[in-house]
Amino acid sequence: MPDYPIYRDPPEQCRTPDAEERSLWGRTLERIADHCRARSLFVLHYCTGCGAIELPPSMTSRFDLERVGMQPMVTPRQADLLLITGYLSVKTLKRVILTYEQMQGPKYVMGFGSCTINGGMYWNSYATVKRLDQYLPVDMYIAGCMPRPEAIQQAFLQLMEKIDSGRAQNWKEYYRRYDHYLGEQQALFGEQFHTPTDVIGEARHYSLFGPETLGEHTAKLAKYDLYHPGQGAVDALEVKR
Amino acid sequence: MHPDHYRHTELPPSTEYELYFGPNHPGIEGNYALKARLAGDTVVALEADGGYLHRGFEKLMEQRLWIQNIALVPRICVPDPVPMEETYARAVETLGGLEVPERAQWLRMLVLEMSRLTAHLFYFGGHAATVGLYTNMFWGVSDRDRLLDCFEQLTGARVYHMYITPGGVRRDTPPGFLDSLSEVLDYVEGRLPKFDDLFFDNAVLVRRATGTGTMDQAFAIDYGVTGPNLRATGLAHDLRRDYPYLKYAEVEFDVITETAGDAYARTLVRRGEVIESLRILRQVIDKLRSVPGPIRCPLPNPLAWRIPAGDAYTRTESSKGELAYYIVSDGSAKPWRVHVRGPSQMHAVQTLEALCVGARIEDVAQIMFSLDACPPEVDR
Repeated sequence: MPDYPIYRDPPEQCRTPDAEERSLWGRTLERIADHCRARSLFVLHYCTGCGAIELPPSMTSRFDLERVGMQPMVTPRQADLLLITGYLSVKTLKRVILTYEQMQGPKYVMGFGSCTINGGMYWNSYATVKRLDQYLPVDMYIAGCMPRPEAIQQAFLQLMEKIDSGRAQNWKEYYRRYDHYLGEQQALFGEQFHTPTDVIGEARHYSLFGPETLGEHTAKLAKYDLYHPGQGAVDALEVKR
Repeated sequence: MHPDHYRHTELPPSTEYELYFGPNHPGIEGNYALKARLAGDTVVALEADGGYLHRGFEKLMEQRLWIQNIALVPRICVPDPVPMEETYARAVETLGGLEVPERAQWLRMLVLEMSRLTAHLFYFGGHAATVGLYTNMFWGVSDRDRLLDCFEQLTGARVYHMYITPGGVRRDTPPGFLDSLSEVLDYVEGRLPKFDDLFFDNAVLVRRATGTGTMDQAFAIDYGVTGPNLRATGLAHDLRRDYPYLKYAEVEFDVITETAGDAYARTLVRRGEVIESLRILRQVIDKLRSVPGPIRCPLPNPLAWRIPAGDAYTRTESSKGELAYYIVSDGSAKPWRVHVRGPSQMHAVQTLEALCVGARIEDVAQIMFSLDACPPEVDR
């Protein structure tokens, strides 16, 4: 157990990218890395909604996305791209957030179908989440219900281009504005909501700690004492489950 | 929470452990989860954990007009959406006293059987993938795509067609459609011997699926199993023959049965149903060449369309089993209550839980796929 309280550091003490990281050399390396990343996107194999029915045709012989370097991947730890294929019920969103936080950066989220944009067909359903980008930073949307495989292909190619040109940086927003995202999640799941992932520690690790990483919502983690062992964190989890 | 802060929990010593199977798992069909209790690699108990796909359809349908619900119903079951439209439309017709023109009935049968074909081809691919036969998955998906192209030609959409409306169908066949559909049917029929070589007669499948997930007829009836899963236990129960709707009484087809009741028998039943569907489709195509007429009965202004009060219960034989809608109308512009009896709920919850006990963990996915459960329809 680390002896420092991770969430209590004042923001001004956090490490900022040093001169070397911001140098031309660093940026060149990042540029080359982005070029390679765009060409080997592993898509997390998680079928969250109806959109999953158009993925087998897209991935297999007929449209064959493997030729542009995309492949389904079973574990979030090795996946680069989280496809939210369609509507998200509240129960699924919880798993999706958990999964997203397990993925390693750089990671990308693609909203697939109208349901992730504005609720789509289920705009007045009591069970679904209407806007995905309230809870996770989204890089690309595919409109339609159901999007055609050609549209999926086009979106993937555009995402590749976006990654290649270094513009797909939305995943950093999750760390920079973690307080905002956690607030939205808490508004939906209750104030005690938290995930096992140490997002604040990761923000530090990626040098993405910003003034909005901590705030009133992350303070609730401390309020419910979720960071301290043996004092109800695990019990809260047990009850929740 | 920091990972280091998790508390170590002491549990009494046990040879059993619990394994979460899904929802993020390639062996699970759709967004669905199973909680398995295992001893070694044998399943001691299995608990289905649904609700990931719950959208509250029955409530949503109460809030929309009768005509708006046409767009909503196919989304209940994604791989096989047409029976949903048909069952809903027939319930509305029963309530509203609408007469469906003859040509529309044949067109409906056409899309119903095409949908059954796509669902079964998808099933071949899915079941093959769970026993490691990935080539077959590619074949099933790409052959299904040819039928989806036909759907696109006819209805303008690949997956959600919204083709069947209360009182008829949305549009007539485009020129040349019946010929191109016949070609695709010939192609699918020509593929079946290859599927036999690679899948149905494959020693991998035969040895893994025989005796896996076996149920007898009494069990199947007790658990509300319907459709091909019930026919695989030897009972020739098919709504298309026993309670014919549309023009099923006028076409010739056999009800395919097997007696073993295991995963292999269920696959063979579906293989036979593909042949029967092809038979039906050819007869329907012949009829469509000669039967003239309108494709829709006249409908009132859909925005002010009131259905007389009453209730209706309609049943359809979908590719998964017996699908039924119970609709109550209070005479207003929206349904008062809709209940969907989806076949997958019986298959994916109680039946799956019971069949998996004693099976090995690697067969759980196979049993689930062999039951051809459709999670969006379980959760609705």
